[in-house]
Amino acid sequence: MASEPQGQGSGNCFPDEHQSLRFRRVSSRVSNQNYPQFNWNSTPADEDGGGDSGPRRDLKSIPLPMSLKRAVRQVQQMQVPVVSSVESWKRKKSKSLCKLKNATREFLYFFELWSKSLQKIGGNFGGGVQSYFLFLRFLVVLNFVSFSLIAGFVLIPSIIFRSAGSSPVNNTGPEACMEYDPNPQGLVVFYNYFLDLLSGTGFMEYSYLFYGYYNNTMVEDRNFSYNIPLAYLFTAVFYFAFCLICIIARMGTAARVAVATGGSAVGNYSMIVFTGWDYGCLGDRATKLKQKNIHYRLQVDLEEERIKKQAAALTLCQKILLYSLRVFMFFLALGLIIAAFYGISEATNFSQERSDEQGILGLIFEYLPSIVITTGNFVVPLLCDQIALIERYTPSTTIIVALLRAVFLRLVSLGVLLFTLWRQITCKGDTNNKACELCQYNHEVYQCWETRVGQEMYKLTLFDLLINIAVLVLVEFPRRMVVDNWSSKLAQWVGRQEFVVPSNVLGLVYGQTVVWTGALFCPLLPLINAIKFVILFYCKKITLFYNCRPALKTFRSTTSTFFFLVVLLFGWGLATVVMIYSLAEIRPSMGCGPFRFFPTMWSIVPTSFHSLSETTKEFLFFIGSQAFSIPLFALSCVVMCYFIALASVHGKSVALLRAQLKLEGRDKQFLVKQIEELSRQL
Amino acid sequence: MYIPMFFARFTPTTICLYLQDCTYFTRKEILRLFYRYRDLAPQLVPLDYTNHPDVKLPYELIGSMPELKDNPFRQRIAEVFSEDGEGNMTLDDFLDMFSVLSEMAPRDLKAYYAFKIYDFNNDDFICKSDLEKTLNKLTRNELTEDEVRMVCEKVIDEADLDNDGRLSLEDFQHMIVRAPDFLSTFHIRI
Repeated sequence: MASEPQGQGSGNCFPDEHQSLRFRRVSSRVSNQNYPQFNWNSTPADEDGGGDSGPRRDLKSIPLPMSLKRAVRQVQQMQVPVVSSVESWKRKKSKSLCKLKNATREFLYFFELWSKSLQKIGGNFGGGVQSYFLFLRFLVVLNFVSFSLIAGFVLIPSIIFRSAGSSPVNNTGPEACMEYDPNPQGLVVFYNYFLDLLSGTGFMEYSYLFYGYYNNTMVEDRNFSYNIPLAYLFTAVFYFAFCLICIIARMGTAARVAVATGGSAVGNYSMIVFTGWDYGCLGDRATKLKQKNIHYRLQVDLEEERIKKQAAALTLCQKILLYSLRVFMFFLALGLIIAAFYGISEATNFSQERSDEQGILGLIFEYLPSIVITTGNFVVPLLCDQIALIERYTPSTTIIVALLRAVFLRLVSLGVLLFTLWRQITCKGDTNNKACELCQYNHEVYQCWETRVGQEMYKLTLFDLLINIAVLVLVEFPRRMVVDNWSSKLAQWVGRQEFVVPSNVLGLVYGQTVVWTGALFCPLLPLINAIKFVILFYCKKITLFYNCRPALKTFRSTTSTFFFLVVLLFGWGLATVVMIYSLAEIRPSMGCGPFRFFPTMWSIVPTSFHSLSETTKEFLFFIGSQAFSIPLFALSCVVMCYFIALASVHGKSVALLRAQLKLEGRDKQFLVKQIEELSRQL
Repeated sequence: MYIPMFFARFTPTTICLYLQDCTYFTRKEILRLFYRYRDLAPQLVPLDYTNHPDVKLPYELIGSMPELKDNPFRQRIAEVFSEDGEGNMTLDDFLDMFSVLSEMAPRDLKAYYAFKIYDFNNDDFICKSDLEKTLNKLTRNELTEDEVRMVCEKVIDEADLDNDGRLSLEDFQHMIVRAPDFLSTFHIRI
């Protein structure tokens, strides 16, 4: 191997953090290792522009053995840099900033929740399972922080100003509509308390948990005023905006990775071979499983190639048959899902009609919608899996189709439940119906409809948690004990539980969507959800380590984080639609709640608007007018065009550089051949 | 075996400073790693490192660490990071190894060392025989001959940009840039 000439100039020695390292290799038959040459004569003053990082940071990222690095460092320290005072001040500043960053990072590591558990999970079960638990931790933190918002602006002022304040609007309205008696019974049997806890009725109904307890008061003092209904409304809106910002911020980091790596279809084999091995894998058993996993992935990819070749080799007649089969199966799956929706709406109607039953039967009727939703979410994906076997898509397409179907089922079933409730509350939108004529909502059945909706969401959340714990105790532990202790063919075929990431994540998204939908009507729901997710974390961790074996089919960890957040965004969208509809369309209950005598919940904003000062009103009018919004719209269009142009330019330059690399390789080969020819001639 | 910190004559000013500049570890982590290194062979490793004693631990001890003992590439890792190329590591090599494998090391640095690890014959190129050895270590020799051949062909097809039938460092780095998982998998937690 001929030794390449040394490059001149010191600019190459201190790698700019944005460029990749350029190496000059020296061949050596004696030493086994080839190290990049280091220019000993350069001084730190020769750096151009990269001065903010300082020479010491660069030393860490140069791939030299430690003895050489030490020598370089000594040389650097002996050289007195001839820099101006401004430069040295800048250097000192950047060094202290680095130290501060490191110190804060160390301090924050102390506060990171569950980091040791997550490390253990990642080491034993891989990145896919770890991404589920990271997502769960994100949701716990989001719920806690958003609850602190609600507590600060709604709950605590309500508690403080409970008996003070006056109503901003006159308390008039039909007598019948203003009836609201949340505690009808006199003497209560003791187990009723437990039933009430589970269904949010009785002693729990008229409490800070639900919308109905909050007063429509406005506290005014000499230089302090607090409008509780307005605060309630704005807190709810801001809660949604805050959650959206958090999700998008988190998506930003995940998206950057996903976009930078381009299409994941290219380079599949090289990815698996060079990045498939997890160096953090601990233990003999985990290592063997990881090796089996890589083996399986390679086989799956080879299998996909084979299927693609087969599919390309089909005759026209077979293709038509396959496509018509796929269309038929698609409609069959759609039919199953619609049947599930019909079941949910019937169950909701039945449950609302029989809401006066007492005792255990009453509890079952109350929980009927939750039961039907959970059963549907369990049975329909199983059937769709069987359908997918007939459709014969490639393995990766099958996974994506199954996930899309499951997402559609879960989120739209929640939508169907809400739609059914709405129809009952507003008598199917028909204001001339006898029950809805007086108050524009069904005041006979729903004296305080917001509390009822809040109770439904509360029941859904509780039921979800109870089902998870019940499945853990009644299905997963016994399954493991049976499989471990009973050595029959059936037990071995069933095998130990596998931790399936996608369906668990969908469960989390569903739970969070329920909370978002119910937050307007049940302000403490985010706190309950945070506690529920904490309990869920420990339950899932226990079941992971005791009952599960690592999955043979893995879930890609980095693209999957982005996918989870996209699905969460769908749930957020559904909840926002619900919130906007209830704010703007339905008349609030007259017997309870902070929006008692307003025609819609949103109408408190125009009412309070008039009490603002003149200049503020003029400013807000100006922002809403066309003179402001049209230039703003035009400006945002221009900015968006700029970013799109920038992105396309980057993409084109990447393609150009790739082509250039190919050409350079060919040039190298040509030159080497020329050198050989010339050396032969000489 | 826990040694109280003030017994270690590990002069903080000289030793830790150069190590903090040359690795991605903080002072606390460097001391903790020193104790891990010493625990492998307490008789060989002195507590006092002020005079840079020339102590090398043989590969068998390094390869028996719990973080490395099940890794199929542990021998290559030790060979790449050791000064003599045989796997016998000084404290400097030990710290260098875990610094590169920590989560703070940048992608380019990790890619350089990953390339060296997978280059079994040390010729600065990953050729077909290197790939075959890598594959066999990854799958415990469970792939058939045909499958190994097919996968090697596909890998070289995908990653070889200058069309010389083997992967150079640039090809490898170019492919790593497009791999989202690389930073999280080429990482040993210690």
